[in-house]
Amino acid sequence: MKQHLGRQSGVQTVEVSLLDGKVEVTPKEDGQIDPGQLLKATYDSGVTAAEMNMTARGKIVKDSSGSLALQVEPNRSFVLSPNELSKGLEALADTQTMVTVRGQLYKKPAGKKKADPSAPMRLLILEVQKKE
Amino acid sequence: MKVKQFALLVLFGSMLVPVAQAQIRHIEMRVEGMT
Repeated sequence: MKQHLGRQSGVQTVEVSLLDGKVEVTPKEDGQIDPGQLLKATYDSGVTAAEMNMTARGKIVKDSSGSLALQVEPNRSFVLSPNELSKGLEALADTQTMVTVRGQLYKKPAGKKKADPSAPMRLLILEVQKKE
Repeated sequence: MKVKQFALLVLFGSMLVPVAQAQIRHIEMRVEGMT
């Protein structure tokens, strides 16, 4: 799995801890990495992803449907799952303020054996680390 | 002299731009069934 993930576009290093089932992926300097592709690659290598968290820096934008999203690249943004932290970022929508957040992109649905790794990812913000 | 200072400012400014870009910094997964 380590080799398989390491071959994905934008991946610099992959650290696997067999003891606690943790996989840490560091993107290349340009940060152009596709979490959805990583999730799919994980399933393709025969293991089940229980959870995926991401730390990212970007701008808060409102998409065409009015939902808040974190834009991490010109063509990549993640719609925010509403919670108290995302509400606190609403005032920053469509401003030049950059925020660094840690959030959950994926969690295996309870009770289901197989999840759909191709489903659109939403970001549940767990921590707002910086606003600048 | 001022032109040289300005050129240096532009040079250092352009070096800092990639740091200020939006990007994914880190991804962490918890997996099951790993051997």
